[in-house]
Amino acid sequence: MTITEPTETGKRPSRITATQLRDAGATRRPRMARVKIRIGAILTALVVLPVALAGLLPLPGSTEQDLGSRRLPPLTDGHLFGTDQLGRDLLARVLDGGQVSILIGVLAVLVSGLIGLTAGAAAGYFGGWCDAVISRLLEAQMSLPLLMMLLLVVALFGPSVPVITTVIAIAQWPEVARLTRSMVLVEREKPYVDAARTLGLSHRGVLFRHLVPNVVRQTSLVVLLLLAQAVLLESALSYLGAGPERPFATWGRLISDGQDYVTTSWWLVTLPGLVIVLLVVGVNLLGDGLRDAVRGTKKGVAA
Amino acid sequence: MAVGSLAGCASPTGGPPPGSVTLGLNRSLVSLDNKLNQFDAAVTVQRAVRQGLTRIGADLTPVPVLADRFELTAPTQWTVRLREGIRYSDGSPVRIKDVSTALTMYRQVSGSYIAGFFPEWPTVVPVDERTFTLETKRPLPVLDYLMANILLTPASANVPEELQSGVGSGPYVVTASNRGTGEYTLRRNNNYWGRPARVKQVQVRFVPEESNRVVGLRSGEIDIIDTITPDSADQLSGQPDVAFERVRGTRINQLFYNFRKPDGHPLSKASVRQALSLAVNGKRLADEVLAGSAQPAVGPVAQTLNGAVPCGTYHYDPRRAKQMLEAEGIADGDLRLTLIWETGEFAGDTSVMEAVVQMLGDIGVRVRLRQFEPGGNISEWRQGRAGDWDILGNGYASPVGAALPILQGMYGGTPERERTRDTYQGYINREVLTLLDRAYAEVDAERRQKTTARIQQVVWDSWPSMWAFVPNSVLAYRTRVADVSLEATNSYQLARIGLEA
Repeated sequence: MTITEPTETGKRPSRITATQLRDAGATRRPRMARVKIRIGAILTALVVLPVALAGLLPLPGSTEQDLGSRRLPPLTDGHLFGTDQLGRDLLARVLDGGQVSILIGVLAVLVSGLIGLTAGAAAGYFGGWCDAVISRLLEAQMSLPLLMMLLLVVALFGPSVPVITTVIAIAQWPEVARLTRSMVLVEREKPYVDAARTLGLSHRGVLFRHLVPNVVRQTSLVVLLLLAQAVLLESALSYLGAGPERPFATWGRLISDGQDYVTTSWWLVTLPGLVIVLLVVGVNLLGDGLRDAVRGTKKGVAA
Repeated sequence: MAVGSLAGCASPTGGPPPGSVTLGLNRSLVSLDNKLNQFDAAVTVQRAVRQGLTRIGADLTPVPVLADRFELTAPTQWTVRLREGIRYSDGSPVRIKDVSTALTMYRQVSGSYIAGFFPEWPTVVPVDERTFTLETKRPLPVLDYLMANILLTPASANVPEELQSGVGSGPYVVTASNRGTGEYTLRRNNNYWGRPARVKQVQVRFVPEESNRVVGLRSGEIDIIDTITPDSADQLSGQPDVAFERVRGTRINQLFYNFRKPDGHPLSKASVRQALSLAVNGKRLADEVLAGSAQPAVGPVAQTLNGAVPCGTYHYDPRRAKQMLEAEGIADGDLRLTLIWETGEFAGDTSVMEAVVQMLGDIGVRVRLRQFEPGGNISEWRQGRAGDWDILGNGYASPVGAALPILQGMYGGTPERERTRDTYQGYINREVLTLLDRAYAEVDAERRQKTTARIQQVVWDSWPSMWAFVPNSVLAYRTRVADVSLEATNSYQLARIGLEA
């Protein structure tokens, strides 16, 4: 391809206009990725920052009841989100619930990421019976109805934070493992792997010192997307009554408790729901944008 | 074709079929028999299919149903005569043998709720084809109340377990049932011996979430919902097609202590139990959390029951509570309790429990909440077989209408019954047992009432509940359904309801 320099008069010698160039897929994609990252980061920060700094904010305790101030609407008597059916500050409850929900979500994706990365990398690199066993295992798990499986495990082992975290982590590892396996399958055929083997590096050394660092970036993006799913799963479990025991205020439970008042106290359901939407949309946009950005960079490098 | 499909989508598909009424129950109707369970909402449906010799009427006194005569003819003998021409839905006649078999089956079933009310099981002695006597060794002056809970089934079909379907003498027959989902279809019994039911078909559905029941009623998918919270009543008030029935209830809801604790445990001391009671602001719970829909209990049974007397009130005095705990050597943070309950045990249950956690926290008592979903294993927990607990959130239905049998059922636990964990949360009080014996043996109504009052005072003074309250029964229904008449037992006669033309 020949690139034509602009002429002295400033007119482009090409028939392709600047607008067409701007709207072309190749230029639009990085721009969209940047927009997604920005919007995603803002939405995520809108939820995560107040949740993280809840202890520093001048709010009443999330379990502090005032039976004389039940179900106050938002912006009443200093309650930004209003109060719930026991006169507790709803904003404090949402932030407190966020700490539980996000903690479970983060821990769950870290554990599932670790399991998925290890299992997927081993399956892709070693192949043979190792691949067969891991692949069949993840296929078997993906064929099970996820929520039913989670409810069953929680019913068997009790609804504590460690159990719910473990259950969600185990539920999500196949996503990471599948992606890692496919990427390792491609990477292991590359010359640098042969070179490492020729230099006498062990299989384990090749896998963890060369292959895994090359796939971990893309995998971590999937893990970020799984965070939103983990928060949703935790909320669903809490909503169905299988979340952490009371008095933990989780987002799902806030919605579940508030739905009895949906027509008279709309904020009890709407505001916690809105916070979940903001976080999930934010994390998804962020993950999506980062993935697009990485893809663009790789293409650029390849070109 | 497209228009046709759209029209199909738009048509109301969720509403009850023509000539049919749909009930949305808050608890799963696991059977159409009451041998093991008898929560309020079930009574209406169970008695539409099976009937007893008597039933508890609107004024909480026994009303004859299958018997046209039920009278005390000697201190230990009641004479009963079956109505003439009464038949089951399959056309077979109701016989005296069905009564004796029913009594045997209720006695044999393990963990029976009804058995607790009977200090002694009567023996059936036939006199003629329709007349028989119920004989007891000791006087049983409230037998007419108790027999309202013994539902009759043909002797050959009765077994010592809950009956899932089968033949009854009531105005409805079961045409379809699913115990798992709690859904039943009842059809009018064309062989009914009395005045036939006005509605041809009744659908019974289990809708555990109160919000779903409210939405179902608003949308017309459900016609009648029972045991609703004042908040739900708020949501429904002003709806043009919805009406309410409210009565003072007979059910008592309690935060009941675990009486199976070892001797050294703080809860085994009445003073500790009293101290914890003083930390609960019952007035605020009743007025604010339950929005005035309940009255704090003033005795161990609901005051609406015949023979109930006021024994005291729950005071709120956290300072004294703390002092009493300190006097027992319990400092701030020393006492940690576990409070268990099943979702839906009573309207507003979760809010009450969470409010109590804060109230006890204010006197330095930490409470762990353990909530069981319907269908969970709370019954094993209650019996102390699955885990340890300290306080139980529980509702005790009072379907017999009189205080004495309820006192017997709740507080008449004996060491023998405790061996099979058949006492009420391990409550055994020898003084109460002696007084119960004396009350049951007393034929003179006035003297019996005096002893019944004494029993209530003794029970009250033993502080069995941290707090207790009697909720009003509230039922909401669509105005297309006519003549829904809620009775104090939180049930109504299904055969009497009709549909507006």
